[in-house]
Amino acid sequence: MTAKGLAGRLLGRWETLLVAGIVGVGIWSWTLSPFFLTRGNLLDLVTPYVFVGLMALGLTFVVIAGEIDISVASTLAVSVVCFAQIFAAGVNVWLAAVAGLAVATALGLANGLLVGILNLPSLAITLGTLAAYQGLAYVILGGEGVASFPTSYTNVGGGYIAGNQLPVALLILLGFALVLGLVLHVTRFGRYLFTIGANREAARFSGVPVGRVRVTVFALSGLMAGIAGVVYVGYFGSARADAATGSLLDVVTAVVLGGVDIFGGVGSMLGVLLALVLVAELRNGMQLANIGGPTQDIVIGVLLLAAIVAGNLLRAGRTSGFFPGPIRGLRRGVIGRQADEAVRPSNVESPESGR
Amino acid sequence: MKHRKKLGLAALAAGVTLIIALAVALSAGAGTTKRQAGYKIFFLPKTTTIPVFTQNSIGAKRAAKELGDTLTYNGPTAVTGPAQVPFINTAARQGYNAIVISTPDGNAVAPALKRAAAKGVKVVSYDADTRPDSRVIFVAPTANSLIGTSQVEAIGKQIGYKGDIAILSANVTSPNQNTWIKFMKIALKKPKYKNMKLVKIAYGNDEPTESAKQTQGLIQAYPNLKGIISPTTVGVQAAAQELQQEGKCGKIKLTGLGLPNDMRKYVKAGCAGNFALWNEQDLGYLATYVAHYVLAGKLTGKIGETFKAGHLGTYKVQVSDGNKPVVVLGPPLVFTPQNIDKYHF
Repeated sequence: MTAKGLAGRLLGRWETLLVAGIVGVGIWSWTLSPFFLTRGNLLDLVTPYVFVGLMALGLTFVVIAGEIDISVASTLAVSVVCFAQIFAAGVNVWLAAVAGLAVATALGLANGLLVGILNLPSLAITLGTLAAYQGLAYVILGGEGVASFPTSYTNVGGGYIAGNQLPVALLILLGFALVLGLVLHVTRFGRYLFTIGANREAARFSGVPVGRVRVTVFALSGLMAGIAGVVYVGYFGSARADAATGSLLDVVTAVVLGGVDIFGGVGSMLGVLLALVLVAELRNGMQLANIGGPTQDIVIGVLLLAAIVAGNLLRAGRTSGFFPGPIRGLRRGVIGRQADEAVRPSNVESPESGR
Repeated sequence: MKHRKKLGLAALAAGVTLIIALAVALSAGAGTTKRQAGYKIFFLPKTTTIPVFTQNSIGAKRAAKELGDTLTYNGPTAVTGPAQVPFINTAARQGYNAIVISTPDGNAVAPALKRAAAKGVKVVSYDADTRPDSRVIFVAPTANSLIGTSQVEAIGKQIGYKGDIAILSANVTSPNQNTWIKFMKIALKKPKYKNMKLVKIAYGNDEPTESAKQTQGLIQAYPNLKGIISPTTVGVQAAAQELQQEGKCGKIKLTGLGLPNDMRKYVKAGCAGNFALWNEQDLGYLATYVAHYVLAGKLTGKIGETFKAGHLGTYKVQVSDGNKPVVVLGPPLVFTPQNIDKYHF
């Protein structure tokens, strides 16, 4: 490949744009505050959002398979309160954490069975469990909190190594991103996800165990919410039923802004990781600028919408050379999934889908 | 095909640029008072979406202006401790000298506050306390004993210090409520209140419908009932509404702890003669003064230290309700038809 071709390819990648966005927001934040561009701030930038990132990694699998799981934050809350109750009853903290993971996986599995076996729409199912799990968390722990966790455990979320600079939580996030990235992009299970997300019926006819894979992704999403919960409690040192309230916007934004097609079939783990950094950096920058929480939510919300619209335009570009592509892309978004599939044979084999 | 793709990418680039521009434009209107000499204080409420905290910030900004300090008021949308943590981290990095915080989860913000303290930031909590080891001083709106005595006086005044009264509380297990009721019972033993008799404590579980039902029950079961005290914002509002529906306004008097915005129409209709809370502006004002004096080295958190907080007068660092070191704003502020329009939260 020529140097020009390589440059062209790099330029054409979503991830490159995200890096450009990170640099752009970085420059903006730097002009706002001399404290932005310090090693301490840069390394610590993502730490409060590591639990968001871990949930996003799990959600990536679900969205690539063409589904959605908006119950992740509530799953985290139930997992965390179970973990806390078991720990408060005198059980070893690590054993209690494992029990929390089991609960989270079970809740994810429940979502998966409803969606995959009964073949119900995941948005409706997980909207229901979003509310039900949140309620369950309050039933289990009430308005109380548990906070007496030992330092040996809280270090997984709030500890620092290498001269008190490098957050342990960041390493955990990167570790999981690497492992899950390999699962997504190298294994057969990963390939199944892309196939199902691109066209579920076609996947079924080509022998992909569609039902089983769909159940598994929801269980995986639940497990990741549980792991996010373990890091969450470690970082904040407090387990309550309101855990992770308000974090769903950031989770979904990280996934969609990361280039994962909201209709399924396209996405990369690297993109999601970069998008998480961008979201964390943007929030950090806005805090440096003393922009209030509600305004921050507007900006992140607009970013989510922009990512969806841009994704739609890109998809239109991929599938058609005819000029009013962007407009048709938008229209397709409105008409929905079936029309989309009619004009998009299979993204999986497309050389330009970035894999 | 390439052409379409470039169009999409250009659209995304334009989108990102637009968002950054939006953020920059919005940052121009951010809430930092004019930069000047003095200390930099970060005022962090539970959330910026509840009027009470806006009132705190008005008082806080006034205090900062008097003291020559720079005050930034900012906070999250979600009312959780974890949502406050990024704000604490950023404030510490930005070189703020002090953080004044009201938190819904003292445990969750403690590690972040300690990290900030290790960087030299002084922490003062107000309204809702953090863990004692993560702040220098707590500025309390009032004290339990003051709430107890003030509520008894507020209903006594309405019923001429004579007759049967009842209490409409929240939950049987609510520690705050039970402490306040204990102090009400102690106050009722004073000679001034000897003709007042507490006949019943009802529990509305801080739910509007249950509180209304309990109020109805009190009216039916105690025909000689003269007054009700409801020391919960939900209870007092529900009781006022119930009295209005039953046409008992003025016949059975009502007081409690409530929010002026909730209670305005009932006070004006005579369904609640008065009710109490504290002056939220003064609370923010006092907390900012405390932060300033902590930074100046004048307050260290030693019991017995005194200082003058602008127009509010002299205060003392003390032990209050088993917590220390605490600065107490004072007895609750009683809202009446005459003064209620001065308060908007």
